[in-house]
Amino acid sequence: MTAYLIRRVLQSILVVFISAVASYVLLSFAPGGPLSGLRQIQQQGRFKITEEDIARIRASFELDLNLPVRFSRWLIGVPRGPLTIGGKEYFGDVVVGCRKPIEAEITNSRGVQEIIVVGCKEEVLLKDIVGRRTSRGILFGDFGLSWRLLRDRPVSDLIESRIPKTLQLIGLETLLSLIIGIPLGIYSAVKQYSRFDYVFTTLAFMGSAMPSFFFGLLFILIFSILPKGAGLPYIPAGLSESVRNYTIPWIGDVIAGSAKDRTLHLMLPVAVLTILNIAGWSRFIRASMLDVLRQDYVRTARAKGLSQNVVIMKHALRNALIPFITIVVFTIPGLFGGAIITESIFAWPGMGRLYILALGDYDYPVAMALFFILSVLTVIATLLRDILYTIADPRIRLH
Amino acid sequence: MTVPAQMDNIKAEAITIEERSPFQVVMMRFVKHRLAMVSMVVMIVIFLITILAPYITSYEVDELNVNNYFLPFGSVDQDTGRVHYFGTDNIGRDYFSRLIYAGRISLTVALLSVLISETIGILVGAVSGFYGGWIDSVLMRFVEFMLTIPTLPLLLIISSMLLRNENLIPIPEAVLKSVGSIMLLGPKDARNAILIVIVLAGFGWLSSAQLMRGTILSLREQTFVEASRSLGATDVWIIFKHMIPNAMAPIIVDASLGLAGFVVAEAALAFLGFGIQDPIPTWGNMLSATQQYMFDKPWLPLVPGLPIFICSLAFNYIGDGLRDALDPRLKL
Repeated sequence: MTAYLIRRVLQSILVVFISAVASYVLLSFAPGGPLSGLRQIQQQGRFKITEEDIARIRASFELDLNLPVRFSRWLIGVPRGPLTIGGKEYFGDVVVGCRKPIEAEITNSRGVQEIIVVGCKEEVLLKDIVGRRTSRGILFGDFGLSWRLLRDRPVSDLIESRIPKTLQLIGLETLLSLIIGIPLGIYSAVKQYSRFDYVFTTLAFMGSAMPSFFFGLLFILIFSILPKGAGLPYIPAGLSESVRNYTIPWIGDVIAGSAKDRTLHLMLPVAVLTILNIAGWSRFIRASMLDVLRQDYVRTARAKGLSQNVVIMKHALRNALIPFITIVVFTIPGLFGGAIITESIFAWPGMGRLYILALGDYDYPVAMALFFILSVLTVIATLLRDILYTIADPRIRLH
Repeated sequence: MTVPAQMDNIKAEAITIEERSPFQVVMMRFVKHRLAMVSMVVMIVIFLITILAPYITSYEVDELNVNNYFLPFGSVDQDTGRVHYFGTDNIGRDYFSRLIYAGRISLTVALLSVLISETIGILVGAVSGFYGGWIDSVLMRFVEFMLTIPTLPLLLIISSMLLRNENLIPIPEAVLKSVGSIMLLGPKDARNAILIVIVLAGFGWLSSAQLMRGTILSLREQTFVEASRSLGATDVWIIFKHMIPNAMAPIIVDASLGLAGFVVAEAALAFLGFGIQDPIPTWGNMLSATQQYMFDKPWLPLVPGLPIFICSLAFNYIGDGLRDALDPRLKL
C-alpha cells in the first residue's frame, strides 16, 4: 500500500507537470496576446511607437524570453540571473531570449500575409534579467500578475475575490444534488420498469439532453422575465446580488446586498445546476445499483429471508458505493473550478466565469493559474478516489 | 400406415420454430422499446430534412434581407414572394434556411466526431487489451493521463488556439473538399468545422478506448480465440475478425450516446465562443448568437435550441434501446 501510494504520488506529480507544460506551450502559441493591440495602433499610425517602446512592453510581459525560460520562471521562479557561487557569477552570457526580433512579412501557401520572426537583432543575456520583476513561481504559491483583467495586480487577488462565490454556488448545489439524486437513483433501480422508473428515466434523459446553457436561459425566461412582465413574483437573475434596491410583488422590498437579495440571486443558478446534476448522477447510481441487484449474493440474501430494506441498505448499497465515491470525490475540483457555462449565463462572478474571461481577453497568467490549480485538484481527486475504492470494496487491490 | 406420417408432421412442426438470425433478434427487441423506435423515426425525418436542405429552403444561408430584421414567422418577402417560415434573425437572414443548413452541419460534426473517436477508441482499446504488457500500460496510462486533465478548460484552450491560428494543423485539400460538400460549405469554412471535429474527437476517444479494452480483456480468454490461434491465425486476423465484431455491442451503444454528447458539446463550445464561427450556421452558434434576444423575442433562441434538445434526447433513447436489445443477459 505504501509503495503503491508513493508511486502514485510521483505519477501524479508527473501528470500535473506534463499538463502544465502542454497548456503553457499551447497558450503561448495562441495568436493574439497582449501585443496584438499594439500592432494595430502601429499600423494605424496614430501614435509613434518606437522599436524601443515595443521592446520595453515585450519585456514587461516577459515575452522577450525564450519559452522554456519563461515557463521555468512561471513555475518555480528561476532563473532570476546568473548563478552566483562564492562571489563569482556563472552563465552570465547565456542567451535566454531576444529583445528585438527581426520580423519579416511573408505570404503563406494560402495567400495570407503573416508576420514571422526570422532572427534576432538584440539578444537578452542571463545577466540582463537581474532585478527584473518576477513571480516566486506558481509552485510556491505566487501566481504572478494579471495581464488584462486586473492589470498588474496579483492573480491571487482575482482568485480570492471570486472563490467565495463559487464555493457558495457549487457547495449548495452539490449538497442538494447528493441529498436528492442518490435516493432517487436507488429507488428507481429497486423499482426497475415501474411507472416511477419510466417517468424518472425520461426526466433524467431530458435533463442530460438539455444543454446547460439552454436550460439556464429557459429558467431565466420562465422564472424571471415572464413573471416580471406579468406583474407576478419573480426570481432575479444575473450577478450574485443586485445593484439597486427593488421590489418583488408579494415578497416586498429587497435591499441590494442583503441576505434576502443574495439568496434570491442564488436560487436560479443553484436550481439549474442541481437539476442537471441529479439527472446525471442518479442515472449513474441507478445503473450500478441494477448491476449489483443482479448479483448472486443479493439473491442469496433474499433467499435466506432478509427483508427488502436490509437487502438493499446493507448488501446492495455498500457494493454500489463505488460510483458514489467517484461522484463525491470529483466535486472537489468542481468546488474550485466552478461551473463555466452556468456561471456565464447568470453572470455569476465565480471562477468558471473568470476562466472564460481570462481566455477571451488573452489574460494568460490568470488562465494558466486556474488551469494549474484545477489540474492539481483533479489529480488529487483521482488519487483519493482510488484509495477510497479499496476502503469501500476490499476486493479491489491496489498494486 | 397413417400413423408414422402423422408423427413426421408433428416432428416437422416442432423443428420449424422460426429460426432467427442474431440481427433479427436484436431488431425485434429494439422494436419493442417504443421510445427508441419513436426516436429512430424522428431522427430519420430530421436526417432526411437536412439532406434535402437545398430543395426545402428557398434562401441562401448567408443571404441578407436588408432592413428586414426580426421578421415574424411566415412573413413574405415583398420583392420575390418567398416566405420566411421562421422569420429572419437579427441581421435579416432567413431563419428557417439557416436552421436546416445548421442541422446539416451540426449533425455532420457529431457523426464525424463519433466516427473518428470510436475508430481510434476501438483500435487503441483492441491493441491495448489484446497485447497487454507494456503496450497496454503505455496506452492506458496515456488515456488516464488525458482523463485526469480537466477537460472543458483544456478543450477551450485548444479550440481557441486552433481557431486563432487555423494553419496549425494541415488538412489535406481532398478532405476539406469532401467534408465541405457534405456540409455544403466552401473549403475554408469546412476547415473551421473539421478543426472542431478534431477537438471533439481528440477527447472523445478516451472513454471508448477504455470500454473496448475491458471487453477485449474478457474476450481474449474465450475458447474460440484459442481455437483460431491454434489454426494459425495471425494477430491482425484475430483482432479484426474475432475481437472487434464480438465487442461491437457496447461500442454501438457508446456511439449512439456519444452522438448525443457531441451535439451538445458542439453547442456548448459555440455558446462559449470557441466553436464554429458565425457566418457558418450551426445549432449551437445560432443559439448563442440569439440568446441575448431571449427576453424580448424568445423564439429566436428557442428555434435552434429545440432541435439540439430533440436530437440529444432521441440519441439517448436509441442508445438505451440498443443497450437493451444487444444485452444477451436480458431475455424476452
